[in-house]
Amino acid sequence: MKQHRLCTDCENPVTPLDLPIPAAVKQKWAGVETRRRFLGRSGKVLGWAALAGLFGEIGLRSYADGADVKAPSAEGGNNLGLPHFAPKAKRAIYLFMSGGPPQMDLFDYKPNLAAQFNEDMPDSIRGNQQLTGMTAGQAHFPVAPSHWPFGQHGQTGTWVSNLLPYTARIVDDLTIIKTTNTDAINHEPAIMLMNTGNMNAGKPCLGAWLAYGLGSMNDNLPTFVVLQTKTNPKENNQPVSSRLWGSGFLSSEYAGVGLRSGADPVLYLADPAGVDREVRRKMLDTVEEINRQTLAEVGDPETNARIAQYEMAFRMQSSVPELIDLSKEPLSTWDLYGPEAKQPGTFAYNCLLARRMAERGVRFTQIYKRGWDVHDNVVGMLPVLCQETDRGAYALVTDLKRRGLLDDTLVIWASEFGRTVYSQGGLTQDNYGRDHHPRCFTTWMAGGGVRPGITYGETDDYSYNVVKDPVHVRDFNATILHCLGIDHNKFSYKFQGLDQKLTSPVPAYVVQGLLA
Amino acid sequence: MIAAHKVSVAIRSLRIRGMTAQWLYALGLSAILVMLPFAVRLDGRPHADWLQFLGRFHPSLVHLPIGMLVLLPFLELAGTTRLGLREAAGFVLHLALATGAVTLVFGLLLAYGSGVMGATVSRHMWGGIALLIELLACVTVRPAWISGQLQRVYPALLVVSLLTLTWTAHQGGSLSHGSDYLTRYMPGPLQRFFPSASTATDAAYVGSVYMRSIHPILDARCVACHGASKEQAGLRLDLYELLMKGGRDGAVIAPRNPDRSLVLQRVTLSPTDKHFMPAEGHTPLTADEIAALRAWILAGASPTATTIPGIAAAAENADLPLQPVGDYTYLMNEIRQIQRSEGAKLVAVSATPSDGLILRTINVASKFDDTQLARFQRFAPFIVEAELGRTAVNDDCFDTLSKFTNLRALHLEGTAVTGRGLAKLSSLSQLTYLNLSGTKVTSDALVQLKGIPNLRHIYLFETPAEPASADTNRTLRSLR
Repeated sequence: MKQHRLCTDCENPVTPLDLPIPAAVKQKWAGVETRRRFLGRSGKVLGWAALAGLFGEIGLRSYADGADVKAPSAEGGNNLGLPHFAPKAKRAIYLFMSGGPPQMDLFDYKPNLAAQFNEDMPDSIRGNQQLTGMTAGQAHFPVAPSHWPFGQHGQTGTWVSNLLPYTARIVDDLTIIKTTNTDAINHEPAIMLMNTGNMNAGKPCLGAWLAYGLGSMNDNLPTFVVLQTKTNPKENNQPVSSRLWGSGFLSSEYAGVGLRSGADPVLYLADPAGVDREVRRKMLDTVEEINRQTLAEVGDPETNARIAQYEMAFRMQSSVPELIDLSKEPLSTWDLYGPEAKQPGTFAYNCLLARRMAERGVRFTQIYKRGWDVHDNVVGMLPVLCQETDRGAYALVTDLKRRGLLDDTLVIWASEFGRTVYSQGGLTQDNYGRDHHPRCFTTWMAGGGVRPGITYGETDDYSYNVVKDPVHVRDFNATILHCLGIDHNKFSYKFQGLDQKLTSPVPAYVVQGLLA
Repeated sequence: MIAAHKVSVAIRSLRIRGMTAQWLYALGLSAILVMLPFAVRLDGRPHADWLQFLGRFHPSLVHLPIGMLVLLPFLELAGTTRLGLREAAGFVLHLALATGAVTLVFGLLLAYGSGVMGATVSRHMWGGIALLIELLACVTVRPAWISGQLQRVYPALLVVSLLTLTWTAHQGGSLSHGSDYLTRYMPGPLQRFFPSASTATDAAYVGSVYMRSIHPILDARCVACHGASKEQAGLRLDLYELLMKGGRDGAVIAPRNPDRSLVLQRVTLSPTDKHFMPAEGHTPLTADEIAALRAWILAGASPTATTIPGIAAAAENADLPLQPVGDYTYLMNEIRQIQRSEGAKLVAVSATPSDGLILRTINVASKFDDTQLARFQRFAPFIVEAELGRTAVNDDCFDTLSKFTNLRALHLEGTAVTGRGLAKLSSLSQLTYLNLSGTKVTSDALVQLKGIPNLRHIYLFETPAEPASADTNRTLRSLR
């Protein structure tokens, strides 16, 4: 019986020389096969292994073992050499308006548009831009002026829409950026780019970079916390996922810790009946011992992260109940944040929690508010969205300011992109829709490191293109890092053979005009 | 035989006479060199343009003798085995002397023509003169060295010349790049050996508009050329008295008359104007800075006024420039130890040690009291920020804190502090931030804060002293 060439159950063992492979490969194999060759090569391999062993502590560790590199150590110095310079801000709070608020209805005042109601936007403004599938087929791009009047506020006389009566009160404290711009026109790539500096998943987000670089200020709370605002089912809620606050190639202990938006922000926080603190501690000690054995055997840095997370969870069992206990808040808190702040999961409640976390040394808090994706019914939905967020943002900045926290806290209000001036779908006297717009959108910052009371950048008459002082997402992130004492060009992590950065690979610049 | 002897005696006497002549020649030249600065007095006044035009070749020309001088010892060493190189060394030495002399003249032209003065300038000049004299001496003794008579003198002179060269070149570098050019980016541990020269300040005017808003502008934009180390046009702007005194061209500030103040005239000229300041290559003043200068002069250019209308609140509120606090790294072991024993941390403000330390108590706040605080006194000069919010400290803390001489920010929110003893903080000249929110501090106790010279941000939320408005500037102004 004829046997198959690769059958192992045969009298004459098969060698690669019998295989249908190129002769060159066979020749190479034959060369390797001699005993002399084998021993010679083995010697070299051993040499390299020994060299690697000698260098291991210095050279290879930075590649292999990120978890071991502790950020600012307790010893008053730190291994990463961070912050690079004395920072203005120690911590940051990032209010993320997911979906893309329409800038021309909130901050980017274009009074001249009223006269152009329903006129087609000139082609020259749009240029050769590729639109989303939602409006690419539209025959007309009718200009939809903002439905709401604007007013001038503060000593700076900044124009703000009547939809934001509370934010209007703090314009003198804000650094408004009208020319933020991004590369992506759809939600997922744009929101990834905004948070991680890259449209593809797998890169660490701003908060993870900060947790890695600056480390924790309070041992009992996470360094980076993410708060979700309860969704309003009437709104067009785009999904947000944990990769937005993930740690990418950094150790997972730097990922954001999400608190739930319900009354119970951390599930199973209390020990079950019959398990007291002592028992819990003993159990954790044993688990840690087993984990350490695994670490010694396998050497996976993620085991380290796991150990750290168990310990953090244990400490959070006592620190989180204190954090969310609002019973001792003075009356002035509720006067400021409004009654909504008493309901867990509202934006105002999250803003109050963010202030409490700032007091308690949480390095970075990110609050997500979804629902800004107003493709249609802007007139119906925008007042709801503003009503949900306006007071919370105002209260947070005001509260931080009166408590002396705004000096060293950077507050950021941003989204993944803005919206178009032309109406998506039909434009009527009473209503309009707006599509995604990456070329310019309005964001603001306040507090440590940025210059208060300024409006930065100019857009054209249609709030469509940047005319002066563009701030790209990468520049935006570089500026945030600068406020926290980090030179974005020097802050890197070796991964896949690259010095990976939050702002790489295209050069980014700190926007000096925004700085205090 | 006899004839031969006679000839050799004649030759020797000739050589000695020749040597003496050479020595006399060298001495004469040296005397001329020493007299040179007295003949061409640097009077701080710019002179004819062509002097400066030629003088500006000094910085490039200077590298010619430098290169040759550095080459010289190598040639001499190699010359011990290869005679041809020894001959070359003699040639190079003479050439270095000649080019050095030309360079010196050009340097004088530059200084005289541009009207520059100052300590570094004269150090550089005298260094150059000393170097030339040493080279003259080298040229003179070298024949004796070659003939084997004076074996040690020439090498010793050469070494001295090279040391003089290094020192002089460093002075020159400081003139063109600034005196901190080498040390600015030096690794921290090394910087300890090069303490940054503390610049003179008007201690008497601490807290005034002049010190807060005007002096920093002059310091950043002007003092590099109009300061202690370099006095262009005989003008120094680093101290108030000297600023008011003016330079060779007379007073530069006309109080209440900005348009007739030379300082303001020069910085507001067209940038292409020859007289525009800061001179080419340096950053011009911003519109805000010019506005602040104008407002200050208009209000009388007082060194003591604490508020001046027209100087933007933002500029007035601008943070104090960070004062370096020295390097604490020699205390690292003690720092580790106290962190272990007390639980509170001393965290580096940044990777630069002279930025100081933050005392962070948050992990042990409820147990951190005055006894523990007192144990951190050892690190007092390095602590720039004390986070004592919600700790167990009380009014006794002011005793310890008064010794934190470099403290910039003090958090006492939510503590049992009542304000008794706040006056002890008045020794803290760097303190700009004080948070007393949620304490029992009364407005009566606040009067004691008057003495803190640079306090800009004070927080009194939820205290008996809480102001009606959250405007901290107004609170401060009402105190003063």
